[in-house]
Amino acid sequence: MNRMVLLAAFLISLLMGGSAWAQTPPSPTARGEYLARAGDCVACHSTPGGKAFAGGLKMGTPLGAIYATNITPDIETGIGTYTEQEFDRAVRRGVAKDGRRLYPAMPYPSYAKLSDDDVQVLYEYFMRAVPPAHQVNQPSEIPTLLKPRWPMAVWNAVFVGGGNGFTSDPQHDAAWNRGAYLVEGPGHCGACHTARGIAYEEKALDRSSLAFLAGANLDGWYAPSLRQNRATGLGGWSKEDIVAFLKTGHNKHGSAYGSMRDVINNSTPYLTDEDLNDIAVYLTSLPATVEEKAPVYDDATATALAEGSSDPGAAVYAGQCQSCHKETGGAAPPFLPALAGNPTVLDRDASSLINIVLNGSAPLMAKGAPSPYRMPQYRAQLSNQQVAEVVSFIRSGWGNNAPRVSAGDVATLRKSTDPASDQPVILRMR
Amino acid sequence: MLIGKTDRVEFCGTMKYSVEINGAKRTVDIDGETPLLWVLRDTLDLKGTKFGCGAAQCGACTVHMNGHPIRACQTPIASVGDARITTIEAIGDSKVGKHVQEAWIELDVPQCGYCQAGQIMSATALLTRNPAPTDHDINVAMSGNVCRCATYTRIRAAIKHAAKAGSI
Repeated sequence: MNRMVLLAAFLISLLMGGSAWAQTPPSPTARGEYLARAGDCVACHSTPGGKAFAGGLKMGTPLGAIYATNITPDIETGIGTYTEQEFDRAVRRGVAKDGRRLYPAMPYPSYAKLSDDDVQVLYEYFMRAVPPAHQVNQPSEIPTLLKPRWPMAVWNAVFVGGGNGFTSDPQHDAAWNRGAYLVEGPGHCGACHTARGIAYEEKALDRSSLAFLAGANLDGWYAPSLRQNRATGLGGWSKEDIVAFLKTGHNKHGSAYGSMRDVINNSTPYLTDEDLNDIAVYLTSLPATVEEKAPVYDDATATALAEGSSDPGAAVYAGQCQSCHKETGGAAPPFLPALAGNPTVLDRDASSLINIVLNGSAPLMAKGAPSPYRMPQYRAQLSNQQVAEVVSFIRSGWGNNAPRVSAGDVATLRKSTDPASDQPVILRMR
Repeated sequence: MLIGKTDRVEFCGTMKYSVEINGAKRTVDIDGETPLLWVLRDTLDLKGTKFGCGAAQCGACTVHMNGHPIRACQTPIASVGDARITTIEAIGDSKVGKHVQEAWIELDVPQCGYCQAGQIMSATALLTRNPAPTDHDINVAMSGNVCRCATYTRIRAAIKHAAKAGSI
């Protein structure tokens, strides 16, 4: 009888914990690969169509353009000769093997928070699992006079401090702390979503400041606030909304654009549901910077569009936008983003909205599946005046109450994002 | 999956969607992200609606959703719900649609014809909402439908012709 009970208990434990029994714990290289996903190393350390981690991506800095380096384990051109200590020093302190200081385009101020264990598995992954690629690093285009790297040591002392690791907060539970670690550390969300100061430093590197993840303008895009601002931040998003967005690039509130596309295409959809949930737990704990009214839908705009409106912006909307985004401004979320109440539409900084009207959106490929829906570009069809009118119409329609934009704002972005110009926009460091 | 800039394609699961096309309920078992245009042409064999650009830039795939012109290539099947979809195959069933078709024939509007299904859908939606459109109204309503043969002047004339036929 006793044996029967034991056997039954054993069988039940097999059923309940079947997955845990069947799976061996992930190898260090597998854990390192997961971390490389979380950090989205590939987004900057490769070029489109190029070999993974072989470097070569051009980035603008205030001093001149620099190129991401080869971080494959190639002996001659990559990091094949790096010891674990040297790798650690580059990742967490921004110092290359030869003692050269890295520019903070490499987000080592965030990576300083990585745990010893995570740096170790990351090293294992890069050394043992990444195929070496022979690709010589391109020299920077920074003028010779400004080339010495020692000022970076001063910059580090002032802005990064001692490169303190992540300290967990006992006031919060394990899920919150894991989320904080992922966001502030490997995820380096602040590289885009936190504004930069006069010396190009991120104004805050963790939750201790209201500037952290409060939104920032870069590369002609505005990376929106991830704080609890009710209209322009994530104040109206549930944890499930955040998880859905990170998993697919879309949710009922909006779609990913700009550099967030790199994050969706290569990083967050590969994270576990637990980790995505923990990120959402942490993000929803960041207080709003200012108190905002939640947008209230007003159907007067839909009525005006149905009856024909004399607003020149409404005319452009009816001809170009309405067939997808609908007269209700509701579109077809999660696939096509609604314009009514969308944080990107409501932000004071209209860069993303103008940019997406001019240049459209590049394809989202969550886990390799391309989204069939893409914003087309209107660079050739609409004048600066027309873009300004339609963007202003969208920003004030359906209960949205964001300021108007001018034709001058559009002209500036049209010029800086012109793919045919001899000075195409290059990614700024992030 | 190996980390790289380009990744392979994975497929999501399918689901049953019941949609009203030209007055009849049709059920399709398909991924919810599939564009309506794919469902119309490939699943339901309604090939009158054309694929032009696949990016809502040309208007060739225009159909009506509750009478409003929409681009079927940018309409996920999951977003259709219980809306009424009308395609070019059934446009002649409405009075306005019939006038438009007749005007199109009388004025010999099409040249190659590829965009014309979309043009007729947009023109019918315009005349249903606005029975006597001005040149400006026509320009605004038809600006999302492009024609490589540049039949624009005939399209405008035919819309006015149909408007006149409708007012008698």
